[in-house]
Amino acid sequence: MKLDIHIQRLCFLILCFLPLFLQAAGETGGDFEDAVAPILKERCVKCHNGKTQKGELNLSSVVGVMKGGESGPVFEAGSPEKSHLYEMVHRKEMPKKGDPLTHAQIETIRKWIDTGAPFRTQPRITETLPHQHDVIPVLLLRCTTCHGPRKQLGGVDLRNPAAMKRGGKNGPVMIPGDPDKSLVIQRIESEACPPRDMLLKEFVKRPPKSEVALLRRWIAAGAPEEDIVPDVANGEADPLVTEEDRQHWAFVAPEIASSLKNEKLNVDFFVGRKLKEEGLAFSEEADRNALIRRAYIDLIGLPPSVEEWQQWSRHQDADWFSKMVDHLLSSPRYGERWGRYWLDLAGYADSEGGISADPVREVAWKYRDYVIQAFNEDKPYDRFLIEQLAGDELLDWRKAEEVTEEMVENLTATGFLRMGIDQTGSRTMNFVPERLGVISDVIAVVGSGVMGVTMECAKCHTHKYDPIPHRDYYRMKAIFQGALDEHDWLSFKTRTVKMGTAEHRERVAKTNPPLLAEKKKLESQLKQAGADLKTETLRAHYPAQSEEDRKATLGALRVADNNRSLPQRLLVEKLMKAEVIPDSEQPESVLAAKKKVKGLERHIAKVRDEMEPALVIRALWDRGEPSPTYILRRGEHAKPGRLVGPGVPSALTDGKTAFEVEPPFPDGTVKSGRRLAFARWLTQPDHPLTARVMMNRIWYHHFGRGLVNTLENFGVKGERPTHPELLDWLALTFVEKGWSIKEMHRVILNSRTWKQSSMISDDRLEADPQNRLVSRMPLRRMNAEALRDSLLSVSGQLDVEAGGLPDQIEVDRDGMVSVIAGETGKLRRSIYLQYRRTEIPTMMDTFDYPEMGPNCLSRNISTVSPQSLMLMNNANIRNYAAAMAAKIEGSLSRAGATHSDFVDAVYRTALSRPPSAEETKLGSEALTELEAKWGEDKDAALETYCHIILNSAAFLYVD
Amino acid sequence: MNPFSELNPSRRDFFARTSDGLLGAALASLLGNDLGAEEHPGGYDLTPKRGHHPAKATSVIQLFMNGGPSQMDLFDPKPVLNGMDGKPFPGNVEEVGNSNADSIGVMMGGQYKFARHGQSGMWMSDALPHTAKMADDICLINSMWTDHPNHDNALYKIHSGRLFMGYPTLGAWTVYGLGTENRNLPAYVVLNDQLGMPKNGTRNWTSGFLPPLYQGTRFRPTGSPILNLKPQYEQPSAVTEAARGLLGKLDGIHRNTRPHYQELDARIESYGLAARMQLSAGEALDLAREKPHTLDLYGIGELKTDSYGKRCLLARRLVERGVRFVQIFLEEQPWDSHADLNANHRAICERTDKPVAGLLRDLKQRGLLDSTLVIWGGEFGRTPTSQKSGDVYTGRDHNMQAFSSWMAGGGVKGGMTYGATDDFGHAVVEDAVSVHDFHATILNQLGLDHQKLFFSRSGLEERLTGFEPPHVVEDILA
Repeated sequence: MKLDIHIQRLCFLILCFLPLFLQAAGETGGDFEDAVAPILKERCVKCHNGKTQKGELNLSSVVGVMKGGESGPVFEAGSPEKSHLYEMVHRKEMPKKGDPLTHAQIETIRKWIDTGAPFRTQPRITETLPHQHDVIPVLLLRCTTCHGPRKQLGGVDLRNPAAMKRGGKNGPVMIPGDPDKSLVIQRIESEACPPRDMLLKEFVKRPPKSEVALLRRWIAAGAPEEDIVPDVANGEADPLVTEEDRQHWAFVAPEIASSLKNEKLNVDFFVGRKLKEEGLAFSEEADRNALIRRAYIDLIGLPPSVEEWQQWSRHQDADWFSKMVDHLLSSPRYGERWGRYWLDLAGYADSEGGISADPVREVAWKYRDYVIQAFNEDKPYDRFLIEQLAGDELLDWRKAEEVTEEMVENLTATGFLRMGIDQTGSRTMNFVPERLGVISDVIAVVGSGVMGVTMECAKCHTHKYDPIPHRDYYRMKAIFQGALDEHDWLSFKTRTVKMGTAEHRERVAKTNPPLLAEKKKLESQLKQAGADLKTETLRAHYPAQSEEDRKATLGALRVADNNRSLPQRLLVEKLMKAEVIPDSEQPESVLAAKKKVKGLERHIAKVRDEMEPALVIRALWDRGEPSPTYILRRGEHAKPGRLVGPGVPSALTDGKTAFEVEPPFPDGTVKSGRRLAFARWLTQPDHPLTARVMMNRIWYHHFGRGLVNTLENFGVKGERPTHPELLDWLALTFVEKGWSIKEMHRVILNSRTWKQSSMISDDRLEADPQNRLVSRMPLRRMNAEALRDSLLSVSGQLDVEAGGLPDQIEVDRDGMVSVIAGETGKLRRSIYLQYRRTEIPTMMDTFDYPEMGPNCLSRNISTVSPQSLMLMNNANIRNYAAAMAAKIEGSLSRAGATHSDFVDAVYRTALSRPPSAEETKLGSEALTELEAKWGEDKDAALETYCHIILNSAAFLYVD
Repeated sequence: MNPFSELNPSRRDFFARTSDGLLGAALASLLGNDLGAEEHPGGYDLTPKRGHHPAKATSVIQLFMNGGPSQMDLFDPKPVLNGMDGKPFPGNVEEVGNSNADSIGVMMGGQYKFARHGQSGMWMSDALPHTAKMADDICLINSMWTDHPNHDNALYKIHSGRLFMGYPTLGAWTVYGLGTENRNLPAYVVLNDQLGMPKNGTRNWTSGFLPPLYQGTRFRPTGSPILNLKPQYEQPSAVTEAARGLLGKLDGIHRNTRPHYQELDARIESYGLAARMQLSAGEALDLAREKPHTLDLYGIGELKTDSYGKRCLLARRLVERGVRFVQIFLEEQPWDSHADLNANHRAICERTDKPVAGLLRDLKQRGLLDSTLVIWGGEFGRTPTSQKSGDVYTGRDHNMQAFSSWMAGGGVKGGMTYGATDDFGHAVVEDAVSVHDFHATILNQLGLDHQKLFFSRSGLEERLTGFEPPHVVEDILA
C-alpha cells in the first residue's frame, strides 16, 4: 500500500510533462519501447526487475522507468548529462557486473533522452494527493526552528498536522481545505515568515515557490494524512539485499574450521602453515637488541633508556621477552602510543576547523586523556566502544543526585562523536547542509573506522559495490538523529556540559577563583602591552609619524580588515611593514616591548596550568525528541524521500528482524536509546565485523600491513584477507579474552612471527615481494610522534608528565610552528601538543602527521627532502643533539675516556646497541676529524657527532 | 607510477611509501640502468609524467586575487546599472549578497571609466591601464559563478573544487598528475605577500588527502625562502662537510646490510636533494641576474609595485626552470572592499596592474607564454548594490552569482571575452562557467582529463571536479 502511493505520486509528476516528450518524438532515434527497452531488458533488468528492485528501481516496465529509484528519476528529458541512466552507463558505473554497454547502446540511450525521452504507450495512472510526510520536511527546513521543539513563537508548533490545526495565540495556523485562509500560507507568502531578520540568526532560508505550492496543494486537499510507519526491517524478507550479499566473507561471523579443532592454534600456526605452503619458513629471529628496540618503539613509542636496555639485554630468564612485554604494557607510556592510533581514527583535533578562524576546542583534551587512560587500563574494547558511541545513555546523569566518576567518563567518551571538522559555529555556516556535513563525517568515522564499511557512497545512491542500499545510510543517520539533529542543532556554546564529581567541583571552587582573577588582570595587561608594542614599533620606524596617526593605526586595527577605508588600510600596512622586520634588525625599544608581551604570555600560561581543569565537558547527548528522518535523494537536503527509522545495514543482519530500541531510562530523562542499541548491536560477541576490524588494525600497527590491507573497507571492493583463518582466530580470541587489547598484544608479540628479523633475503623477495605472507618483519620508519619523542628521550629533554591541557605552540614569522617549552625547558610527549588544524607543529607535519579530514585510518610514510632539511638544519634538533652530547659527556666524566668509549655510549643511548667494529672505527675517526675541524673543541665535535647519529637511518628506522 | 589507471587496492603494497622525484634518476645513474618514471619503485613521486593527451601548457601561474575583485568596476561594464545609481535594487534584497539584507544599500554604478582595448576591443576600466594593453593576449571570462558567498568556503571551492577544508588544490592535483620538470626545486611553489598570509593561510595550497609531497611549498618573501633551508646554528663549513661524509658512510652501511629496502635509497637521496635545493633555490630567487629593463617592466624598484613585481618576476624564473605550478597571493584579502571600494580597488590595481602586464609581456617576449597558462581572478565577485559599513555606503558585498576571471597563454584564445551577466552584473545569463568547468579547462590545457585524474580513498574515486560532470570550456581554447 505504502509503495503504491509512492509510485502513483511520482507517475503523476512525470506524466505532467509527457505531452512535451511526445511532441519531440518526431525526429528521434525511436520511442522508449523500440529503442531503449530492449537494451534495458538485455543488460539491466536482471537486477532491476519487478521482484529484485536493486536501488528500488524497476527497469522492466514503463511505469518503473518513469517512477525512478531511490536516487530519484531515471532521466531528465532533453538533458542526457543530467540523467542518472545515461550517467551510469556512460561512466561505466553500471552494469555492476559484466561488461559495460556498447558504444552504440550508450549512444541510443543518449539520443533517446536528448530528443525528449518519448514513450509510445501511456500507462494508466491516477492522480494522488500529497500527505503529511511530503510537507513535514518543508516545515522542518523552514519553520520549526521557531515553531518546534525548542521555541513555539506565538504558541505555534509546526511539527505535525494536529499541532498545526491546533494553532497558537491567533488560532489555527492551518485550515484544511482552505490554503488562502491558512495562516501558515499567508505568513510565508507575505514573507512575514521566516522573518527577514531571523534568516541569518536562525539559519533558515525561505521556501522556494515549489515548496509553497506543495503546502498549498496539501492544505487544499484537506491536509490528508497517511498512516505511514518509518521504513525499518519489519519481519519480511528485504527486497534490496539478497542472501548472496550476506554471504560476503566479512559479513559472516568469524569461525574456526572444524578441521582445525584439534590443532594447537596460535599466530605462528596460521602464518607458518601458509609460509610452508609457499615453500618458505620463518625468517630467523632478530637479535636481542633489535627485539628490545622494536618492542619498545612498537608498544610505547620510545626507546629504552641505557639502563633498561642493559637490564633486558643481560636478562638471564628464558622468558625475558614476555617479561619485557608485560613491563611495557604496564607502562603509562603505552597508552600514549596506542591511544594515538585511536585518536587518528577518531580524527582528534584541538580546533573546530572548517572556517579560517579555526576556533580552538578548549576541552577536547579531556577526550584525548580518556582514550589514553582507556588503553592504559585495558578497558575492554566492547565497553570502550559503547562509552564512545552512547556514553550519555548508560547512566541517567541528568537526574543523578550525585555525579560519579563513571558518569563523567561516559560523557567524556562521547567526545568521539564530536571530533570531526565542524564549521557550524560560524555566523554564516550553520545551515542544514553544513550540519549534514558534520553528521556525514560521524557516519564515515564510525563506518570506516569501527565497522570497516564505507557508508559514504550510500549517502547519495545505493552503494555501487557493497550491498548497502541508500535507505540503510539514512537508517544509520536516524540512529544519530537524537543527538545530531540537523533541525534541532546545538550551538558551540550549548553542546558542552559542566559536570564533575563533588570532589572535583570543590577543588575548582577552591583553587580557581583567585587564579581566574589573576589571569584576567594579566590578560588586560597583555592587551595594553600589545598596543604598546605596536606604538613603539611605529615610533621606532617612523619617527616622523604623528602620535595621532599612531593612535589612528590602533583604531584601524579594531575595524575588520575588509571594512577599512583606504587611509586606514595604509596605516595598517605601514605597521605591518615594520612588524615583519626581523628581530635582529629591530631597535632595543621594540625588543623590550616584545619581551614584555612574551613575559606576560608565559605568565598567563603558567597561571592557566595552575588552575584545576574546568568542569566543562565537550560531549554529545540524546535529546529525546529526534526529528523524523527522511532519505535524501542524491544526498541533497531539500530533496526528501521516504521516511525511515533507525536501523543497521541490512547486509549485516538477517534483514527481517527489527532493530530494537528502548529508551534507557523509562522513569528518568527522556532519551531515544538509539545509539545505545546500536552500540550493543555492534559489540555482540558474534558481530561479523567489530572484532575483525579492530584486530586487523592492531595487526597493522604491529606489522605495518593489515591482514586485510584496506583497513577501512572490508566490503566487496576491499582487499581479501591474506590469512582469513588467522583473522578469524584473532577476532574470536579477542572476544574470548574479554575484548582485552593488551592480551592480544601479548598473543602477537610473543609469537615467532613477530620476532622475525627484518632482513630480506633474495629468495624471500622473490617468493613474497610484498610481505603478504609475513615472511619477515618489515623495516619501518618511526612515525612523527615516535621520532620526536625518541629525540627528546635520548637527549634527556623528555618530560613524561601526562595529560591535561595541550602544550601551547607558537608560529614564527617564517610559518614554523613549534612548541613552547615549559618552565623546566623540557618538552612533553607529542600526543600532548596542541593540534590546531591550521597550526600543526612543523616537526609533526614534516613527518607525515595527517590532515584529519575527517580522520586518518592509516598514515602515509613519505621520504622527502624537507625531512632531511629539518633534521640537518633546524635549531631545535641541533639543541637536542647538544643536550645528548652533554648527557653523554656527563656519564663519561672519568678521565681517560677514549673516542671509542664515546662512540659506544652514543650508540647505546641512541640506538640501544653497541656499535659494530666498523662503526666504532668510523666514529672514532670522525671524532678526531671533527675535533680538528672545530679547532680542538671536543664538546662541539661530540655535539656534531650526536647530530649525525640522530640524522642517521639507523636512528629513524626500526628493524 | 601512473596515477590514472584503475587503482586496485593491492597496489598500495607498492605505493604505501613516497619519495622525492629525484630517486628514479639518482638510482639510474647509480645502478647504470634506466629507470623510467613508469617503473619507478618508490611510490608517489614527482617524476615527470605523461598526461592523458598532448598538453598546450606545461606550467601554470595563478595570480590569485584574494577577497573578490569587483567585476562591474574592472571588466564587465554595466551602463544600465550606472543609470540606476542611487536607486533601490529592483528585486528581493535578500537575494543580493551575503550579509543581512538590512545592510544592503542602493544600486551603485561602476566606479571607473571603461574603454575598449586592443584589436579585440575588450572592455576594461581605467583602473587597469597596463593590463588593458595586453587585452589581445587575454581571454576574459565574465560568466564565472560559485556556490558560496563566504570567503572561507568560496576559497576552498576555487582552489579545491569543494566548499570544505581537507581537499587537494588545483596545484596539488596538477603535480600529482604531471610531476615536475625541475627536480631541484619544488614542483608547486607559493609566493605570498611579505605583509602576511592570505585568508585561509596554508589551506590555499594544501594537498588535502593526497600524499603531502603534492602540497605547495611556500617560498618565504623574506629571509630563508624554504623552512630549514639553511642551518639555524653555527658550524664551520668544513665540519658540515665532514659530518655529511660521515652520515653518508653510516647510511651506506645501514643500507648495505639491509638489501632490498628501496626506501633506504630514497632516504639517502633525499639528503642529496636537500643539499642541491639549497643551491638551486638561491639561484632561482636571485633577481640580481635580471637586466634593468626587465626589472622596469615589472615595476620593480617603484614604491607601489616593487613587492608584487618581484613575485611576478620570480614566478617567471620558476616556470622557466620547470616548476609546474606557481601561485601568487596578496596578504589577507585586499580586494574585499566592503568599504571605500573606489579608493581601495584603485590602490590594489596600482600595486598589481603593472607587474601583471609586465609578466605577460615578458613571458611573451621569451616565447614562454605559449606554454605557460596565466590565470587571474578571485573567489567570487561583488554586488551591484552598495553596502553599509559604519554609517556610509561606499563598498560592495560578496556576490557568488557572477564574477570575472581571465586566462592568458597556454593555448587559450587571446582577445576573447566569454560569457555575459545581466544588466547589473549580478548574475550570469550566458555561457556560465562553474568552478568545476574552470578547473576542468585548466587541467585540459595541461594535458589532463579531469575525469581520469582521480585518487582512490575509502572506496571513493575522488576527483578535483567532483561527481557531477563538468565541461571543458572548449569555446575559449585556441
